[in-house]
Amino acid sequence: MESSIEFSQFNSTNVRRVRRVKEFLKKNQLELSTDIELFVVGKEDDNIIACGGVAGKVLKSIAVAKERRGEGIILKLMTELLNAAYNNNQNELFLFSTPNNIEFFRDCGFHLIEECDGEVMLMENSKNLQNYQKKLTKLKKDGDVIGSIVMNANPFTLGHRYLVEEASKRSDWLHLFVVREDASEFKFADRIELIKKGTSHLKNVTIHEGSDYIISKATFPTYFIKDKGMINELHAKLDLNIFRNQLAPYLGITHRFVGTEPYCKVTNNYNQNMKKILADKQSKFQPIEVVEIPRIEFENQAISASRVRKLLQEKNYEELKSIVPPSTYEFLIKNRTLSL
Amino acid sequence: MKLRRSMLFVPGSNTAMVCNAYVYKPDTVMFDLEDSVALAEKDSARLMVYHALKHFVYKDIETAVRVNPLDSPYGHLDLEAVVTAGVDIVRLPKTDSVEDVLAMQEAIEKIEKKTGRTKKTLLLAAIESAQGVVNAVDIARCTPRLMGIALGAEDYVRDLRTQRTRAGHELSAARSQILIAARAAKIQAFDSVFSDVRDKEGFIEEVKKIKNLGFDGKSLVNPNQIYLLHHIYAPSQEEIEWALEVVEAAEYAKRNGLGVVSIDGRMVDAPVVARAEFTLKLAKISGFMGEDDE
Amino acid sequence: MKVVNSAHAGTLESSDAYIQINPINEDIVEIELESSVEELYGEMIEELIRETLKQMEVSHVHVKIQDKGALDLVLKARLQAAVLRACQLSRNPDWSLL
Repeated sequence: MESSIEFSQFNSTNVRRVRRVKEFLKKNQLELSTDIELFVVGKEDDNIIACGGVAGKVLKSIAVAKERRGEGIILKLMTELLNAAYNNNQNELFLFSTPNNIEFFRDCGFHLIEECDGEVMLMENSKNLQNYQKKLTKLKKDGDVIGSIVMNANPFTLGHRYLVEEASKRSDWLHLFVVREDASEFKFADRIELIKKGTSHLKNVTIHEGSDYIISKATFPTYFIKDKGMINELHAKLDLNIFRNQLAPYLGITHRFVGTEPYCKVTNNYNQNMKKILADKQSKFQPIEVVEIPRIEFENQAISASRVRKLLQEKNYEELKSIVPPSTYEFLIKNRTLSL
Repeated sequence: MKLRRSMLFVPGSNTAMVCNAYVYKPDTVMFDLEDSVALAEKDSARLMVYHALKHFVYKDIETAVRVNPLDSPYGHLDLEAVVTAGVDIVRLPKTDSVEDVLAMQEAIEKIEKKTGRTKKTLLLAAIESAQGVVNAVDIARCTPRLMGIALGAEDYVRDLRTQRTRAGHELSAARSQILIAARAAKIQAFDSVFSDVRDKEGFIEEVKKIKNLGFDGKSLVNPNQIYLLHHIYAPSQEEIEWALEVVEAAEYAKRNGLGVVSIDGRMVDAPVVARAEFTLKLAKISGFMGEDDE
Repeated sequence: MKVVNSAHAGTLESSDAYIQINPINEDIVEIELESSVEELYGEMIEELIRETLKQMEVSHVHVKIQDKGALDLVLKARLQAAVLRACQLSRNPDWSLL
């Protein structure tokens, strides 16, 4: 038979086999992404020559041994990965990689969403983005100033409310995106509910459930990025390029509102980056103006979600009441018996 | 008897090979649904082979399919598909006894009846165990549908509890017994695959050896092997010249109403004449005869 | 035949096709085709898919095909394999419909 490469599947609990994959990746100058649930490995005579992993909707750590490239092994590997993902009920998949691999993955049915700086790119193998853009178009509103906010709200505080109110005042219409990533203490379903309740008095706001196209730090893979110092910047660029080029145009967004970030250096950096990227004249898409709104304070401290969580832990309900809207407070009290 | 020097093994799950095998012109194309197809792909490969068998490119080339054993979840489904599609030969894997063959025959007969297929599907029994070798003679004689028996070396060697070697001594007993059984039953005998596609010399050596033993042909895993094998199986110049003499003598005898064919005063009987005719046919197919030789 | 589950068949390798089937509510056949020869043969491929599904009496499906230059016989085989998997037919299929 022409090919004696055997493929096998196993999940992350199989420590010994995972270690072998890690070694193989290291030899090929790649890291093992730690969130992989399912592995696919191609072996010849008990040597690993190809591997890949499935982490939810994202395919990661895809590699073929240097000396075996050009034989079409990537196609066999990708078939096995797709099979593994589909058997796990994940039909619409994404992958991140370096732009030099775009053609390979195109051959496997993936198409490019965005690439950035020749360092990283995102692809998907479905018409998901197209469908999403069609949906967004239906929600487009007219106006000169169409604002946007991307919010986690973990949970929704008076600080968040202030930001939304200010943005709403300054816009003809405001689109609020809620990050879906359930890596937070508060589940997405609860967070968005609190946001809806806390903004119900505003008449020009559309609340959007965050999509796969807002790339959270958790999703953004770093295993192939050599210069670790670049990770944050690349993540910001990719995420923001997608926002500007693939999402904003369908809603006609002209502005993006963020709260000032006095405490967290990383977030502050992100905000400054955001201004640059969204206004960059090199893109063919309309520039988006970033407006920083100063955070409101309570007792000389900026109100933040982390402060809320701290107060919850300390059971300081008095102070808690002063920094969250009534709807959020009600929720917190009701659920205080739950371990958070 | 049909020339079956080369039997090209084509895994039923390998799309490119299934579509292109006919291009290489082996004497027989053997689609495999058994060991070379992963369990998860058995159903898909079966459908691919079904459609390939019905396709016009395989109309003029002899087709065979190695089905899964009848006692597996796949055997009966395989049989239904390939017999319906009109395969020429069904290869039974792991034939240990006459019962195995008869059971397969019965299953095939049922399907032929159901589909109204008139052309009888032939059988090829693969012997892959010591038990099978011991029963080789009975197996070879048990039904007129059986056109040949073959050695499946991998499983056989495992059954013997040893390993395969390049020289292949571990196979000599099985090869002889299978060959003898086939000849006693007047059917064809086929040797096993040579799987190291990079070892050209080893392959050539093995083909020469099994040709000398008398095997009619061999299973192949790589199209490159077809040309080599056909070349080795081609008759030599001496053999061709001798065959021409014999055939000439036979025609002379016929033309003159003589009862006996003779060359240089020695009698040449019917099997020898048949052999000579076969040699010439083989020579022609091997491209060794120009127009002036005929 | 009723398609109950999602299923897939085939590979991404050259000469093959990777086919996914998903059941949908509408009584139609939706086809999503990605092919290296889309411009030349896209219509023919779609026609083949529809015909094959019609013969199997299958509707209410969304079919996604990644074609890597597959012949008709391959497209049919892979499509039928995916359909049978999606219908979870353990008994013998009716070969006259295939």
